[in-house]
Amino acid sequence: MADLVVVLARCTDLRVEVDPLTGAISRDPRAAAFSASDAAAVEHGLRLGSAWGARTLVLTAGGPECDARLREVLSLGAEVRRVPVRGSYVEELATDERALAKALVAAIGGRPDLVVCADRSSDRGTGALPAFVAHELGVVQAPGLVSLELVGDDLMGERRLDYGRRERMRIPLPAVCSVEGAGVRLRRASLPASLAAASAVVPVAEVPLPGPAVRVLGARASRPRPRHLPAPTGSSRERLLALTGALLSHEPPTVVGPVDAPEAADALLDFLARNGYLSEARTGWALS
Amino acid sequence: MTDVIVVGAGPAGAAAALMAARDGLEVVLLERGPFPGSKNAYGGVVYGRVLDDVLPRWWEEVPVQRWVTRRSTMVLTDTQALTVDFRTTAWGEAPYNGCTTFRADFDGWLAGKAVEAGAHLVVNTVATGLIVEGNRVVGVRTDRQDGDLRAPLVIAADGVNSFLAKEAGLLPRTQAKHLTLGVKEVLSLPREVIDERFGVRGDEGVDVELLGCTRGIPGGGFVYTNRDSLSVGVVVSLEHLAASKVRPEELIADLKAHPAIAPWVEGAELKEYTAHLIPEGGYDHLTPLSTAGMLVTGDAAGLCLAAGLWLEGVNFAIGSGLAAGRTARRIIETGDAKPYRAALKDSFVLKDHKRLRGAPRLVLSERVQQRYPGLVADLVEGLFTVGNPTAKPGALRLLRGAAKNNGVKLRHLVADGLAGGRVFK
Repeated sequence: MADLVVVLARCTDLRVEVDPLTGAISRDPRAAAFSASDAAAVEHGLRLGSAWGARTLVLTAGGPECDARLREVLSLGAEVRRVPVRGSYVEELATDERALAKALVAAIGGRPDLVVCADRSSDRGTGALPAFVAHELGVVQAPGLVSLELVGDDLMGERRLDYGRRERMRIPLPAVCSVEGAGVRLRRASLPASLAAASAVVPVAEVPLPGPAVRVLGARASRPRPRHLPAPTGSSRERLLALTGALLSHEPPTVVGPVDAPEAADALLDFLARNGYLSEARTGWALS
Repeated sequence: MTDVIVVGAGPAGAAAALMAARDGLEVVLLERGPFPGSKNAYGGVVYGRVLDDVLPRWWEEVPVQRWVTRRSTMVLTDTQALTVDFRTTAWGEAPYNGCTTFRADFDGWLAGKAVEAGAHLVVNTVATGLIVEGNRVVGVRTDRQDGDLRAPLVIAADGVNSFLAKEAGLLPRTQAKHLTLGVKEVLSLPREVIDERFGVRGDEGVDVELLGCTRGIPGGGFVYTNRDSLSVGVVVSLEHLAASKVRPEELIADLKAHPAIAPWVEGAELKEYTAHLIPEGGYDHLTPLSTAGMLVTGDAAGLCLAAGLWLEGVNFAIGSGLAAGRTARRIIETGDAKPYRAALKDSFVLKDHKRLRGAPRLVLSERVQQRYPGLVADLVEGLFTVGNPTAKPGALRLLRGAAKNNGVKLRHLVADGLAGGRVFK
């Protein structure tokens, strides 16, 4: 059981515009939205909060442009709060992530049983925030989850491993979980709830704001110098021949079939093994 | 209790919501996009005089790109261009005349005024149908849970392809004959380059309307200057475009390659491509403006003026929306939509449409579209070509020659001149 579920959701313009001529970066405050993983975090928070009968608080760090999205969350039955961070794209990139985590934890105003975050933010993109939040709270962290659900009294999470494997884990509370934008879709509010929340005031947390982690002296478009390449040697005919391999001998195409499915599979595996893409020991396949 | 549901937070819907909310009515403004203006597209010039009484000194806060101080009409053939160019400093100072703006900026600003007045804006919500009881519209259905919303008055401002007007039987399901397709590219250019190429400074902007650049498909083109981009596009008859099998982006490519346009757009980077249907049927093909319990405004009602010299839509949308909002209370009290129709009749919205009712037929006629551009260009080329030692030909001889070369008989010229005189008198 839990009393407080907190979702840390980032709300920003997901399609930052880069001027093709000057490289200047601009964001449209009207386009501020949750990324797929942030929306998944909100949905997980709502589901788990509802299952436990706990308060769900959705917290975001951003400017007033986030309020419209937070009102939508409000209409879904969660509490909302905003940490008033505002700055240019470059200033945001330079933000001290650890200080931001501190500010967010301070804004929660209590000890949460579960914190759900997105596994990556849409633009700052470090994915480090959940770890800093877990550190501030002194709780365990479960990163990169594709599912998060209650099984009996246990909070179970699942995440991807290499080679297509999955890992299921029991997550002890309190914990910080970060989720991928997969498996769930943020619900839509009913029309009466949307109307009720349409003009609601979003509370702003009064906490010390994070400063920059690095001092930005300037920002400009990336204009890498062109690489110096040596002039091509040989005649144009020789270069064409080298590029196309027109006069080289090639292994002729292998015609397989008509054969049935097992024979075709064997032929494919044989080809892959012959060319060094497969080994019997690694795959456990018995080649015919 | 909701008094008025406005569907669509474009210029017409926002204006209607603004006036109804100011009148003390409980207004819900539904918008299908994530914010007003997010789903809209249009050429780019807004004439704001219609807002003078409603939002005094609107020009101090409207999200303007540039104030249009130079208006050009250009007639093109494949190799020629004749421009009538007018500029005035008067349009570059308060109270201004027209401005280029981006729709997402402008619509958001106007809808913000409606919200300030007390309207409730609900975004990401599609009105999927009407709730009808008896023969009266009593609300709308939306795509949200518990999404039925009831009110004594619905204002349909849901655009040219209005599903609400169609459901109410006010708009035919297909009406390609009276529609044009506008396609536009926004091309990025540094501000100082635009200033230099178009001969403007500061916030001054240029509106260039084009004729004869659409491979003979009835329509025209435009070039508008934004702060650091150009809007370049064509508007063509949907029916003729389909019959021609030409893709609209090919027409824009032609336009950008024209010797008179290419120097303006050289080095520009494409930022955005949009397309939008435009109702250009004129007065004789307007959608019925109301049915019991519902008013139709803006593009949904076909209130877009396409009359050759004047190509205006947003101000007509705002004008019709303001009329709907102003009369909403009386219509709710009496159950009769006459005040709305009367308000439109007394305003520029229907007066201009009625006076210029013959313009769409004349402007989109085969001779105006395909023959006269060549005729006037040949005539002017003849006038200004110095052929010494041959003596200068007389103007009438040149006119006869140009008319003959372009398949125009002088009686056609006279007939069209008289028709134009009647339309634009």
